[in-house]
Amino acid sequence: MSKTYKHFQSERDVISQAAEKRRNLASWALTAPALIWLIIFFLIPYLIVVIYSFLTPDIYDVKFELSLDAYRQAFNPDYLMTLFQSFRLAILTTVLCLLLGFPVAYFIARAKDKTKNTLLVFIIIPFWTNLIIRIFSWRIFLAYNGVLNDMLINIGLISQPLEIMRTDLAVILVMVYVYLPYMILPLYSVLEKMDFTLLHAAMDLGANEIKAFFRITLPLSMEGIFAGSLLVFIPALGAYLIPQLVGNQKTLYLGQVITYKIKNIPRNWPMASALSLTLLFFVAILLVLLFTLYKRSKSRRIT
Amino acid sequence: MEEIRIERISKDFDGFVAVNDVSLTIGSGELFSFLGPSGCGKTTLLRMIAGFESPSNGRILIGNTDITDIAPYNRQVNTIFQNYSLFPHMTVFDNVAFGLRIRKTPKSEIKDRVGEMLALVKMEDQAAKYPDQLSGGMKQRIAIARALINKPKVLLLDEPLAALDLKLRQHMLIELMNIHDAVGITFIYVTHDQSEAMSISDRVAVMNYGSIVQAGPPDDIYERPNSIFSAYFIGETNLITGEVTGIEDDYLQLKCPDGAEGFFEIDSTFHFQPTVGKQLTVSLRPEKIALSRSKPRYQDDINMLRGTIEDILYLGSHTQYIVRVGALKFRVFSQHKRVYFDEKALDWEEQVWLFWHDTDTWLIDEIPDSSLGNKEQPDTGVNHFQRSAKRLTQV
Repeated sequence: MSKTYKHFQSERDVISQAAEKRRNLASWALTAPALIWLIIFFLIPYLIVVIYSFLTPDIYDVKFELSLDAYRQAFNPDYLMTLFQSFRLAILTTVLCLLLGFPVAYFIARAKDKTKNTLLVFIIIPFWTNLIIRIFSWRIFLAYNGVLNDMLINIGLISQPLEIMRTDLAVILVMVYVYLPYMILPLYSVLEKMDFTLLHAAMDLGANEIKAFFRITLPLSMEGIFAGSLLVFIPALGAYLIPQLVGNQKTLYLGQVITYKIKNIPRNWPMASALSLTLLFFVAILLVLLFTLYKRSKSRRIT
Repeated sequence: MEEIRIERISKDFDGFVAVNDVSLTIGSGELFSFLGPSGCGKTTLLRMIAGFESPSNGRILIGNTDITDIAPYNRQVNTIFQNYSLFPHMTVFDNVAFGLRIRKTPKSEIKDRVGEMLALVKMEDQAAKYPDQLSGGMKQRIAIARALINKPKVLLLDEPLAALDLKLRQHMLIELMNIHDAVGITFIYVTHDQSEAMSISDRVAVMNYGSIVQAGPPDDIYERPNSIFSAYFIGETNLITGEVTGIEDDYLQLKCPDGAEGFFEIDSTFHFQPTVGKQLTVSLRPEKIALSRSKPRYQDDINMLRGTIEDILYLGSHTQYIVRVGALKFRVFSQHKRVYFDEKALDWEEQVWLFWHDTDTWLIDEIPDSSLGNKEQPDTGVNHFQRSAKRLTQV
């Protein structure tokens, strides 16, 4: 009796093993195109960058002589300052997007279903226009003889046009404008799922509106805050286009420096590669930190 | 302990009157229910007591304190929400401790009191769990503990058992009554389920269209409904309309059309002074009617009708018969005693006698809307008014 059972078992095992093999094969076949794509256009280029960072620069290209000069230079104070500038810009952009985006996301999440969709469309509309075109329209808007200054002079708020274009303020303004939707959308998606009667429950138990916000709404939207912050912070750290088009050349950000190392002759590929990898390294450290923080906030238990 | 006084409260939502001039005093320590179909204003009334809705008119007092304009977080009132509304990101312990932490209670005291509360609801061993790891009944208990730990003067319960299945609901009802006895504070209970309200409450207020139709102990409302609405909303009943033809010392005669050109007579005691010629409605509860194959001999043909059995619904503890008299249909509940041994069970299309005592009927000084009269509806065994009332109870 037990023997037949065993036999039956093993037969089943064989069948299920075969089935699993087939399933594995199928999933590999399905993922292969994307995987090959990523290997050719992401992994291999990155390896090239890594290799280049250890080579010696030539006027146009590289000499295949191993050297650590690029890294030595990358950690010289000038470049560290640039890195710091980039971090400052990215943090400032993220914080401003969070502060501005949260109320918007909250408002949309609490709106009636019909209004909700309309408002979401308004958030998405900017994506319909190319980024460069939008940045150029900001240049026209902020320029010395531009729309904003004309308007302010016409209503008599100022007599002299303001120098906004080509300042750090302009960079921040446009950065926040461009990255705000990336903050609002993940925030919206968590707030939309939140049960707002929880706020009533908190108030019923003695929490005023502010306490209810910090004890209920904020912890429950942590997932959205993390997601939104990453979506804003990481691209903001490598920002090139916006500082280049509306910023000044006194404050250079890492993205600009890397580009100059490649664009300007004599070219310095190893330096550009080393700077890119330094940036990547810091982002990776930050991500690990954020994830540990996030995990801890999720599994926190008070007894 | 202090009583709750609701004084001429109204609530208007952009022209829709949800609560219409309600006045009521709820005694301290009472278990009071608001019962009514959905949209009758019972939840709005509860939310006004909790402070989530401010009344358009009137005031609410606890003892001598007017709480009408006090924010919900400053009221000594706590609520059990319909879907419990436990905080998903907190453990059971933290959920229960929430109110104490907001009030900056010392840590050691929090630990003791949360322990006490969890013991009260028999959930001591669940303190470290998160709400999504709990069953519906457990969540319910935590919600109760979380509310009661704040030592409120009043506990509001908004359809607290609606999400539970029948067995658990019956169990939790008893549990709620025990907790009420243990803490001794006022409970205000909102439900659309009449059996829940009847079984748990000291007093019930039946509501419809924003007003209280009748308030009183459950048996009082069941036995002595003041209106067709209460008679029908609480329990089931047969409503028969008739004209007063004679009044004797302590009973009167009604001449009732049977809907098919014929008439029958009902003799009934009365509790208000009717006049001859007046149209009245009689409420006759289905369990008070007796059925018999042979004509009962002792009753002088009073309150005795001949009918045909049209439908039989066997329900285990009792059977529900629909008996046709003329064009009227009577609902009759007949309890099973030893039905298989004593007498052959009644069958479809059998001719039977219906009879009852003249103290079993209750007069209501109101007649159903003529278009909804007690006429036969061909599609179901229940007449139109009954069906619409039935529908209300099912919402």
